[in-house]
Amino acid sequence: MDVAERENLEAMRRWTKEAKIGEGTFAVVYRGRQVSTGRPVAIKKIKVGQFKDGLDMTAIREVKFLQELKHPNVIELLDVYSNKSNLNLVLEFLDSDLEMIIKDRNHVFKPADIKSWMAMTCRGLEFCHRNWILHRDLKPNNLLLAANGELKIADFGLARDFTDPGSKMTCQVITRWYRPPELFFGARAYGTGVDMWSVGCIFAELMLRVPYMAGETDLEQLKVIFRALGSPTEETWPGHTKLPDYVDLGRVPKPPMQDLFTAASQPALDLLQKFLLYDPLKRISAKDALHHKYLTSLPHPTHPSKLPKSGQPMKARPLPPDELDGKGAAVTGQGATKKRKSSTMGEDGPRKVARKLEFN
Amino acid sequence: MAPSADPPPETNGASSSKEPLTLYEVSTQYKHWRFSAAQLEERRRRMNEVAVNAIRQVHEAEEEGSSCRISFLTFDEELLLVKQYLTTIPKMCKLHQFPEEVEATAMSFLKRFYLKNTVMDWHPRNVMLTAIYLATKTTNNPMAIDQYVANIPRTTANDVLELEFLVAQSLNFQLAVWGAHRAAWGIWLDLQTLPEWNKEAAQGAYAVADEYVSVSRLTDAEFIYAPSQIAAAAWHLADPALLEKWLAAKGESGALPLIKTIASLIEKEGKAPNLAVAKDVDARLRICKNPEKVEGSKAYLRRQAEQQEEATAKRQKKAERAAKALADDPFASVPIDGAEQNGTKIGEFDMDDDD
Repeated sequence: MDVAERENLEAMRRWTKEAKIGEGTFAVVYRGRQVSTGRPVAIKKIKVGQFKDGLDMTAIREVKFLQELKHPNVIELLDVYSNKSNLNLVLEFLDSDLEMIIKDRNHVFKPADIKSWMAMTCRGLEFCHRNWILHRDLKPNNLLLAANGELKIADFGLARDFTDPGSKMTCQVITRWYRPPELFFGARAYGTGVDMWSVGCIFAELMLRVPYMAGETDLEQLKVIFRALGSPTEETWPGHTKLPDYVDLGRVPKPPMQDLFTAASQPALDLLQKFLLYDPLKRISAKDALHHKYLTSLPHPTHPSKLPKSGQPMKARPLPPDELDGKGAAVTGQGATKKRKSSTMGEDGPRKVARKLEFN
Repeated sequence: MAPSADPPPETNGASSSKEPLTLYEVSTQYKHWRFSAAQLEERRRRMNEVAVNAIRQVHEAEEEGSSCRISFLTFDEELLLVKQYLTTIPKMCKLHQFPEEVEATAMSFLKRFYLKNTVMDWHPRNVMLTAIYLATKTTNNPMAIDQYVANIPRTTANDVLELEFLVAQSLNFQLAVWGAHRAAWGIWLDLQTLPEWNKEAAQGAYAVADEYVSVSRLTDAEFIYAPSQIAAAAWHLADPALLEKWLAAKGESGALPLIKTIASLIEKEGKAPNLAVAKDVDARLRICKNPEKVEGSKAYLRRQAEQQEEATAKRQKKAERAAKALADDPFASVPIDGAEQNGTKIGEFDMDDDD
């Protein structure tokens, strides 16, 4: 038997699948175990055979980046093996995600709880960015929580590296509510700022317990952003009118943020505004956020083990994007969520990532 | 720059010093694809031995004594053939106008593949085409398969795709590759911070250094040294004085002997093999390749039949198990629980072979 084949078989024998815990069009997730230790794991089986162009880009991105990223706040890829035309990713088993906790009305979040989740998110993301990797789909649903309360960034199906300056990147990434304005304006060269905007939206959502800026279409989303933050000016965002898909939506004044975030401390508001700066170059980096006074001042962040936990075990998670042709443009945004689905999401359809601008 | 040329492989990058690990040192490339020259030779020699023995047996099973008429490839002949096809990759990439990233990655993939496989099982021409196609995807330069094969003579989409899984598997699904070209560019940027530098001369040297980086891909350098070390060697070949000045400015003059070693490796090994010799090896390969991998051959058909039988038996067992579960409890959902939440109908079974 070939070396590669033998190694693959050995990998396959290290794990067993037990129960199906999620299903999408092109992937199934099982709860499983490590045979030698009984350690619980999640096994994501990606059906590969049906793609016209072979292994699809989502699977390739996820495998490529998770192989390299080892950090307490990034989901750990334990093993990879193939079987027939299926690719199996063995991942650490995680109970719940941040979206479930946010929606669980039984919990009251203390400021220190929010700080703890923010710190873990920024730590994991700082590591990704230090490794020149953009996540490009941060949202509460992709921040998973381990039984011990640790937060792990998951789902790297849209991630890419940004080592080559000048290479054109797609602006059709990030779930709409967490997508920064430069992407709506068609920016093809961008950096870590896109993820930082998402972090800002998540931060606001943790405080508000509902999505902060939830537009129903791409155009609507821009209007929602401008109403929340005031429309950008040449001063707050130099050059934005030159972006390829720029649209003039008129002038809206900036409302005072503390009107909405009544309970937020001054440092919290300051950091939130730095995440949500229009100029991507001025937006705070993950590294600087870690040194921001919000995270360094009292109260100390809650220890992960003391954080609010989800009452029920996680059921089926919606699975990553169903890209048909590896071009990242297969799924259009017409299914974009009107109302957020319940956290015990029985979503079968493609994930609600808008990958196409639709100014309708 | 990583301090040592030849760390013991598989040490997980844990260095004795307390300094934080560089990004390169936590990469899969560093952890799983670094070897000493001796390890590389040993590995290739053993793989060749095992392959020859296995193929001999296949022949003997068909007709006793038939294998001694065959002249099998030696491990260095295998390597020569791989190298020949490595030289084709830049041409193929030029044809498709792929960026250098694709070229560099595909060449690494091809070399890594043949640390796990023998050319007698898998012909490098086909593996090369798949390696390039896979590299377009891992570097985020995807292209439709029909478009890709349209420019390649005598090649169907299936020829490329049928090996994709095997190639990815042979790479242990470790798809990130650190190329020396990027490090060479980094040195170019860094040179510009030197107090005195002649832009025109340096620019010329960069072009030459880039050429040396390209030919270094024909060698084993990437398995033995760090990309930054290879890049420094390429720059040294292009303009020794400039590179030495840069090293001094960085306080890394101690690396010079090592850089010279790498430079001489690039000069010695960084050329295409003699075409006539490669053609001869390729011709012999036609006779000594593994008949189990030759479509339509007796041995191939036998192996296919065996595999088919195994799969059928497995599927049958699974169906029986499912039927039994249903008989025991007619209201049972499916043998693997949890599926009913996702709309799988009761009694509808997942008939995949591998659960």
